[in-house]
Amino acid sequence: MTTFRKAGVQDLLEGYQRKEFKPSEVVSGTMAAITQLNPELNALLETRSEEVSARAKDLDARMGEASKLPLFGVPIAIKDNILVRGWKTTAGSKALQNYVSPYTGTCVERMEAAGAIVIGKANCDEFAMGSSNENSAYGPVKNPWDSTRVTGGSSGGSAAAVAAGLVPGALGTDTGGSIRQPASLCGVVGLKPTYGRVSRYGVIAFASSLDQVGPFGRSVWDTARLLEVISGYDAKDATSSRGVVPRYTEALALPSADSLRNINIGIAPEWMEGLDPEVKKSFDAAIETAKGLGAKIVEVKLPHAKYALSVYYLIAASEASSNLARYDGVHYGTRSKKWDSLEELYSRSRGETLGREVKLRIMLGTYALSAGYYDAFYGKANQVRRLIQRDFDEAFSKCHCVAAPTSPTTAFRLGEKMEDPLTMYLSDIFTLPVNLAGLPGLSVPSGVDSKKLPIGLQLIGRLFDESSLLQVAHAYEKARGPLSHPPWKGDR
Amino acid sequence: MVSREDVLHIARLARLSLSEEEVERYQKHLGRVLEYVGELRALPQESDALVRHVPRDAVAFRGDSILPFSNTRGSLDNAPALESDGFLLPTVVEHE
Amino acid sequence: MSDIFDKYEPVIGLEVHAQLLTKSKMFCSCAHAFGAEINTQICPVCSGQPGSLPVINQEAVNLGVRAALALECEIHEESIFARKNYFYPDLPKGYQISQFERPFCTKGKVEAILKSGESKWIGVTRIHFEEDAGKSVHAQGGTMVNLNRAGVPLIEIVSEPDMRNSQEAGQYLRALHSILRFAQICDGNMEQGNFRCDANISVRPRGQEKFGTKIELKNINSFRFVEKAIDYEIARQIECIERGEKLVQETRSWNSAKNMTEVMRAKEQAHDYRYFPEPDLPTLVISSSWIEEIRSEMPELPSAKRQRFISQYALNAYDAGVLTGSKEVAGFYEEAVAKTGNSKATANWVANELLGRLNAAGKDIGDSPVSVDHLAELIAAVEGGKISGKIGKTVFEEMFETGKSPSAIIKEKGLVQISDPAALETAIKKVIAANPSQVADYKGGKDKLLAFFVGQVMKETKGQANPALLNTLVKKVLDSLP
Repeated sequence: MTTFRKAGVQDLLEGYQRKEFKPSEVVSGTMAAITQLNPELNALLETRSEEVSARAKDLDARMGEASKLPLFGVPIAIKDNILVRGWKTTAGSKALQNYVSPYTGTCVERMEAAGAIVIGKANCDEFAMGSSNENSAYGPVKNPWDSTRVTGGSSGGSAAAVAAGLVPGALGTDTGGSIRQPASLCGVVGLKPTYGRVSRYGVIAFASSLDQVGPFGRSVWDTARLLEVISGYDAKDATSSRGVVPRYTEALALPSADSLRNINIGIAPEWMEGLDPEVKKSFDAAIETAKGLGAKIVEVKLPHAKYALSVYYLIAASEASSNLARYDGVHYGTRSKKWDSLEELYSRSRGETLGREVKLRIMLGTYALSAGYYDAFYGKANQVRRLIQRDFDEAFSKCHCVAAPTSPTTAFRLGEKMEDPLTMYLSDIFTLPVNLAGLPGLSVPSGVDSKKLPIGLQLIGRLFDESSLLQVAHAYEKARGPLSHPPWKGDR
Repeated sequence: MVSREDVLHIARLARLSLSEEEVERYQKHLGRVLEYVGELRALPQESDALVRHVPRDAVAFRGDSILPFSNTRGSLDNAPALESDGFLLPTVVEHE
Repeated sequence: MSDIFDKYEPVIGLEVHAQLLTKSKMFCSCAHAFGAEINTQICPVCSGQPGSLPVINQEAVNLGVRAALALECEIHEESIFARKNYFYPDLPKGYQISQFERPFCTKGKVEAILKSGESKWIGVTRIHFEEDAGKSVHAQGGTMVNLNRAGVPLIEIVSEPDMRNSQEAGQYLRALHSILRFAQICDGNMEQGNFRCDANISVRPRGQEKFGTKIELKNINSFRFVEKAIDYEIARQIECIERGEKLVQETRSWNSAKNMTEVMRAKEQAHDYRYFPEPDLPTLVISSSWIEEIRSEMPELPSAKRQRFISQYALNAYDAGVLTGSKEVAGFYEEAVAKTGNSKATANWVANELLGRLNAAGKDIGDSPVSVDHLAELIAAVEGGKISGKIGKTVFEEMFETGKSPSAIIKEKGLVQISDPAALETAIKKVIAANPSQVADYKGGKDKLLAFFVGQVMKETKGQANPALLNTLVKKVLDSLP
């Protein structure tokens, strides 16, 4: 039996159209791969084989729709902070250990309407707070390239599931780099759309002004297909854009998509000072490849990007302190058994179930918003956020997209950065400014380092110009050639 | 610098019970992070500081029509304690 | 008491929460009908499920703008929603969506008509939108939380600290209540909590500019209780100061059973709400064309109606105020005037008799047993001389009790006024015959005795004699005696 592990979204769609296999065969293979590999990877939390098989059988009977439905029979993993009715949604937290989603998030609804099969909920850092997936209450996810190393986070389960071939595509969320950084560390493509491109309805909020849902795939085309399905206006999200969603995959199929003539790529050298030499080397090589494809490289300045870490942590923590107030064990979630007063019921339920990093950020955010500190912290952070947005406005007057490394390092060892929060936070310095400015960002593998660990190239685009990012990444991906993929461990 | 009292005050505001070990750790970590973000203070005051993260073409409003939720049961079933479909709690004394 | 008020000046400001007359909730599509089964009008948004997001009910904004126009506020083109963070079981998200630093309107005013007929303009600091919380109900084994009310659209109307006594506060509140009902912004039902009032009360020595220590009185649910609670609180605070005690800033509530205020929460427990802009909602933009559209649909408001009543019906300010106290009363009056053609008499009957009687019976004009037609008929009977004013009041009483028409009652009880001179003369002669000594005194020059004879004849005719005619006839008959 084949596990279809190497088949991407595009491969599956073509296979279905040629009637080479049926959804239930694909799903059986996928489930077998999960059974075999997931215990070690810990990428997926819940898998519901009965529901999944039933859904696959239902699609078997609808093979005629294979050419019409853009994700017909494609198994997808959903980060566990996105609700799917009937499935548990824990957000990687003990606070929601037994929470069964009463409804389905808009992005998943759209995927299901497009024929996708939700195969499992992907492990993640608790409430999407983390850069290594070690903050999950359900244990860390192991990097498929080297199981002693982290996947990055917070969407580590989604990235690892795609990298290891458990699923051809997955959804994650990105608040400060949570799609792009694990994509980079796991050697897959990950895209964080423009704020407002994808509905956040049904996505557990971490920092509402920064959160965005996005896809993972093993190719740019696969990622583009997922994006075009989940994007678009949703009346249930008052921050979602009414803008028309381009057919991203159609643009990639054009012959002109292979060239980067007429494309200006900006690089900001100051921003990249002190970079790991191997990452720098890979980045430079990627830029050379882009030049070879006809791109013009221009220098831009992002003078306030260096403040992004401070700005991000104040804003995200402030919003999180409010967003996470609802996990109190009153209306749902885990309630402490020991309390003598209402206040104690609250503080014990929360104190006992929320993890260390989550509590730290709630404390930070509560502090930043509290009487007497608001202006100095939350207020000031928003001012600087504005300056970062302006830096990008300025940069985009000279280029179509800005290129930078996704992560300053490749995958680090499990436990390596757990003691000092700031060391961990520094993993995100290249991704954070993008969320602060609301821009789309994409990470595409650009090679491996000497330890055979993947490196990611990040492309940052103008508001709602995911098309350019996909086009540049697609052309680059072709020119780059196939990656030496993680050992397809266990595959027959 | 973050004092022990600060940590306890914030923890109370945020309704987080902390162990003694946690109080010490958060005093240290919060202090570190706050010291780091202090770099922002050096930046000049910005007049147009209003951040609009919401896309310009977003729609703020919905029409005033009733659309009942189809799975109220599903929501109620997640309650840690339920009595005649009310969320049950120990007797609440104060009022908001 | 008057001495003490020479020494101290109370300062009162009111915060009113009014529920908006929308079909659905503020940020979700749930219904909010009163009295529904527990937790049946809830959805992921208003029950605070993870991942849910708020979307503003446009009709709520329409009604808010209508309120802003009615209270002559300055409407801001851009305003923002904010989160007010606190933990409470009836607040499932752990925060309430409200408006804080930038409310949608500010600087309005309300005209309170005092009992003296004078008016006092009370400033409105701001109006802002917010969502209601759920309700905690006591049950066996603890408290049950019902979220049907969570997310119901409200406006909070904050007054300036412009009021100086309970009457001003009561009249401001009545005026506000009537405006919101007239403009169909809020149904004003205080028992259901759709119009609730909190009062901030302090007392300061006269001449002092700085406000005294502020006490907040929470959730008072009737006009009368607001007045009583304020009176109580003013007296309590003055006594405290007189005793040399220091008042502490605190929140109190009105106990209507004990007729006193009680401490709810001391300042130490005061909250740090950590307000910040609601990131899930865009800036609320209210364009001038939208405002103009709403303005063009505004119904006539109480003050305009009052002015019109004064000029159109030649009423005094007080009666006009009473008759425009509610849309229904004003409508009743105008219908009755159309039938009687006598605005003053009609005003008198509606404002004094009907409303007085309804008030005593605890009824609204909508439940009046006396219909417009019947009252108009009664007024016509009195004004036309068919019955006397005094008999009219008796008939009215009967109408109120039985709901019968005045003509039926007059006929049934034989109450028609006697205007037949011959019939009256017979009665007069009978009285004269029975009172020879008084007749002699009258003849001897005691003119004042005329009234005595009129009274006696009135008694004899059971009050049915036409009083004007009777006067003339009594004099004529007495004077004609030798």
